[in-house]
Amino acid sequence: MNKPLRIALTKGRLEKDTIQLFEKIGFDCTALREKGRKLILPVPDAKAEAVLAKANDVITYVEHGVCDIGIVGKDTIVEMGGKFFELVDLGFGKCRFALAVKKGSDFYSGFGVKTIATKYPNIARNYFESKGMDIEIVKIEGSVELAPLLELADGIVDIVETGTTLKENGLEVAEYIMPISARVIVNTVSLKMRQKEIENLIKLMEENL
Amino acid sequence: MKRYDLLTPEGTKDLLFEESMLHRSIKNTLDNIFRTKGYSEVITPALEFFDVFSLNSNYFPQENMYKLTDSKGRLMVLRPDSTMPIARMTATRLKDATLPLRLYYNQKVYRSEPALKGRSDEISQMGIELIGSSMKMADVEICSTAIDSLEAWGMKYTLEIGHIGIFKELVSNLDADENQKEEIRKLIEKKNFPALNDMLDSFGNSPAIQSLKKLPSLFGGEEVFEKAKKAIPDEKIRFILDDLRSIYNDVSALCGKDGQVAVDLGLVNKTDYYTGIIIKGYLQGHGAKVLSGGRYDKLISEFGYDVPAVGFAVDVNAVSKVIAKNGDINSYRPVSDVIVYSAPGNEIKGIKTANKLRAKGDIVENSLFETLDATREYAREKKIAKIVVVEEDIDE
Repeated sequence: MNKPLRIALTKGRLEKDTIQLFEKIGFDCTALREKGRKLILPVPDAKAEAVLAKANDVITYVEHGVCDIGIVGKDTIVEMGGKFFELVDLGFGKCRFALAVKKGSDFYSGFGVKTIATKYPNIARNYFESKGMDIEIVKIEGSVELAPLLELADGIVDIVETGTTLKENGLEVAEYIMPISARVIVNTVSLKMRQKEIENLIKLMEENL
Repeated sequence: MKRYDLLTPEGTKDLLFEESMLHRSIKNTLDNIFRTKGYSEVITPALEFFDVFSLNSNYFPQENMYKLTDSKGRLMVLRPDSTMPIARMTATRLKDATLPLRLYYNQKVYRSEPALKGRSDEISQMGIELIGSSMKMADVEICSTAIDSLEAWGMKYTLEIGHIGIFKELVSNLDADENQKEEIRKLIEKKNFPALNDMLDSFGNSPAIQSLKKLPSLFGGEEVFEKAKKAIPDEKIRFILDDLRSIYNDVSALCGKDGQVAVDLGLVNKTDYYTGIIIKGYLQGHGAKVLSGGRYDKLISEFGYDVPAVGFAVDVNAVSKVIAKNGDINSYRPVSDVIVYSAPGNEIKGIKTANKLRAKGDIVENSLFETLDATREYAREKKIAKIVVVEEDIDE
């Protein structure tokens, strides 16, 4: 018979939420729960194996077809782009992209070109491009909230869940950019070559959301 | 200053020995398929004026083209595609030629792909263009040739067909501007149901909108046509579907046991000079299409010659990748059959002996070693089965 379907899971919270969903469907996820240091893990009930990867790599693996299906956040999809089908909004892993600034400051005041610190340069660029606004982007790898505090940037574009981190650092949301949640992505060829298996699995997932 | 004299540019690579032989063997196979169907080869320049690719319809995003300037400062590109140059050539040099024209090409295209994605910037493509016929038989000829081009590698394959007319007709009924239409196209192409539904809800709830929402889900086997009839209650589209179904049936009947034909009515390519049928080919074990094409009845008229056409291209790099992954690439490794060692002073005799063997069909090397022992050592290492020694006292 065919090779098992390969599903790439984004490590961390999405991985946990997906395991929960799988268990609700009735898949035995023992191997996934007791993974140790293994990176490829069988999910026999789904005739699949799960690959644990960082969000960006989930997209890379699915794009190249070495994984058939991926579970990844909309944030990574918008930032990275790529060729794949984006079939389902799983509804978990919800948060939002937002522009945040120092409390009380007006981001749009004055004529100078503003500086934005972000981990998501493409999203920031596209957002301000759609407003016809020139901005300078500084890519930050760690806590983006620091940049306005250290006066490197006028604002940040980042994921906001509850807003607590912002508040604790004297920042506030100036405007929301887009909602984010976990998505099911599928390789363009896999969907055609293994349509039945993939459609069945996705149907089960949708029914148990 | 850092020098880059030891590397090839990103997205390009050297092909050595068996890799290069495999490429050649794929090209020979396709060459044979195309030529025996009456297609003649054309070669267009790798350099074209930028204008050829920046017509009104802007099929190629400028950021994906390699650009340079000629001695007069005019903007040139390395061709990102072969169909546009062939359309240019047809509209000029072949304007008075008897139709239909059957052309094929075997050349590279250049696209500036995002870095570090593992994609090639230089792609070997072989393809055909059938110019001057809008008959169904022309579409069937293209599809059956596509099937031959997929079947040749002895692995499971899928030929997928769709029709851009369905999307174009539905979206023309929509009160949306060009940007919004492009956004809808993208969402259908990505089969992004949640976002597509949200976007279309803002345009109301007409039958066309209901149909557009279902378009990306209409893919699979023959059952798709029945589903589509129900999902898209539109007279014009009914005709398109009937035509497509009849092609689907013909092509299915022509398909070998390793292959299957599939339909996807949600095929809405970006490079959208297509006006009718769209085809894509997949080989099992490769994560992207290896063949793509379709009907483009309006493209050549953008160069001033109104003539219908249909064609496809095979990505030779992709095919060679799948063959190398599934099969034994070592069987393509070039190995000589014989090595001829000529003792000093016997060079002429040696060359003549080697030529005689070559005439019989052997691959024969001349030994470039001083001694027979060194020749033997080399032959062992290179797996050359036979050594012929040419010395003075051997008579011809």
